[in-house]
Amino acid sequence: MELYVLFGTFTFLLLIGTPVTFCLGVSSFATIAYLGLPPVVVFQRLNSGVSVFALMAIPFFIYAGDLMVRGDIARRLVALAGGFVGHLRGGLGQVNVLSSVMFGGVSGSAAADASAVGGLMVPQMKERGYDTDYAVNITVVSSIIALLLPPSHNMIIYSIAAGGRISIADLFTAGIIPGFLLAGLLMLAAWWMAVRKGYPTQPFQGVRMLGTLFVSAAPGLILVTIIFGGVRSGVFTASESSNIAVVYALLVTFFVYRSLSWSDFIEATFAAVRTTAMVLMVIGCAAAFGWLLAYTRVPASMVALLQGVSDNPIIILLLLNLVLLILGTFMDMSPLIVITTPIFLPVATAFGVDPVHFGVILILNLGIGLCTPPVGAVLFVGCAVGRIPVWDAVRTIWPFYGAALVTLMLVTYIPALSLWLPSLFR
Amino acid sequence: MADFDGAGVFARVGRPDMMKTIALLTGRLARVALWVAGIGLVLMTVLIAAQVFWRYVLNDSIIWTEPASVMIMGWFIFLGAAVGIREGYHLSFDVLLYVVPQRIKLVLHSISDLAVASFGVGMIWYGWQLAEKTAGNKLPGLGISGAFDFAPIVAGGVLIVLFSTERIARRAAGLPTARFGEEAEID
Repeated sequence: MELYVLFGTFTFLLLIGTPVTFCLGVSSFATIAYLGLPPVVVFQRLNSGVSVFALMAIPFFIYAGDLMVRGDIARRLVALAGGFVGHLRGGLGQVNVLSSVMFGGVSGSAAADASAVGGLMVPQMKERGYDTDYAVNITVVSSIIALLLPPSHNMIIYSIAAGGRISIADLFTAGIIPGFLLAGLLMLAAWWMAVRKGYPTQPFQGVRMLGTLFVSAAPGLILVTIIFGGVRSGVFTASESSNIAVVYALLVTFFVYRSLSWSDFIEATFAAVRTTAMVLMVIGCAAAFGWLLAYTRVPASMVALLQGVSDNPIIILLLLNLVLLILGTFMDMSPLIVITTPIFLPVATAFGVDPVHFGVILILNLGIGLCTPPVGAVLFVGCAVGRIPVWDAVRTIWPFYGAALVTLMLVTYIPALSLWLPSLFR
Repeated sequence: MADFDGAGVFARVGRPDMMKTIALLTGRLARVALWVAGIGLVLMTVLIAAQVFWRYVLNDSIIWTEPASVMIMGWFIFLGAAVGIREGYHLSFDVLLYVVPQRIKLVLHSISDLAVASFGVGMIWYGWQLAEKTAGNKLPGLGISGAFDFAPIVAGGVLIVLFSTERIARRAAGLPTARFGEEAEID
């Protein structure tokens, strides 16, 4: 019965448009009251849920990303990507994907990637005769790459939602091959579409130009090395390295590029406050919700339920993928990570799936969800940048969804894609 | 245009001209909260940067930066979350709302704001209880009363109650309220 109260209140509030974070909080509050437990538990969990040092990596990475978008680091990375792959068939489509690889490697946020890379690439692509829907589609789907490559703050959210026992360094490393695999498949899809539509190529800019572009973008690329190297080698914690990312981004944009004005700085700070307060409040309320899930033994019942359906891990994984994809189309990523991890991670581990591997599967699934209607933050950003209706974009997005789904299946059923690279560091 | 909402009390109290004055005040309050949160983020950055510098460059550790920045994080989360109610930037799920008539939609919005306000009341009430219970303890590393740990949740609760009540009153007066993914002029 208490589960009806918990999920009933949650679903009702969600459907009437209450912010997700308060759906979690209020439903926990109601359930605790129903169970006759002291309600103070909810608020104690909320407070302790956000008073975790490891969480600090999330505001810092988001802050660093906001500073980089406003401070010209993104533009230089896109220019470098242009030097590398601009001469291929459908060149600007390829540039778009490679930009997501490079910018994703410094920002770790799909929405930031879509607005930064999209804002730079979509107008250029329109000008050179690419269809707007093609430009928007490639911008949107390639943003998923940012979620897989380090430093993905969503991986940190997953690690915390899983109780903080999963190594962030391992998660960061595990996403690298899947991220590049997705990039490769998207470039293939972009090429195929470009051939069909007869999009132009442009001449190779030459090795000298490539060198110049590389030097101009180098400070951004160095940041990737600092963040990943610091976390991987264990010299810095994720929180410390994310802090270094903020300080570094400030130094580069203020003093090296001189591209960040005082008002840009204030804007970036407020933008980061808004995003992170929202994300962290969700995490805090989910701590209370998760406590109730554990108290009412939901994860254990879920394992038993799915063991009744099948004892074949392949089928269970397919089922989990399906559920996550469907949930992902309706809800945003960070709340879904904190809600689904305590329920599905025990299922996955009961069927022998490594928690690190499951993390990559989860992020990829929910990342695809960000690009699908009815609710897809990244899709909305992309359509806003390209100024086209969502419907126009999704009518022709299928080849790119296809590439993402093929990646998802490969990542799901070939654990080595996620687990081989981290195993080299042990 | 007024009182198509269920909240009859507010329909009488919440006249548009009066709501404009209130919006001016709450708008300033939200601005102040946002500035405090923003300064908190910058301060957190400075503290952790100092911690890293001391540890790796000067080979010495500062013990108070970590608990202090965690406390600042609490302030900026709860203040930022409260401002989010007023500015409507919390993630929500609006699919059902597209299909119901405008009248019902406004009632549902008010129920939703009421639920948020009740959670805010809980944050104040139980946050205060927790603060009272821990007031005698000293926080490790900081040496201040344990009650400070719960100050942000109480302050955030106060703003959440205030801003959600304002939303209900504005709706009753026939004025727009901001929602996630929509633009609305609220100042």
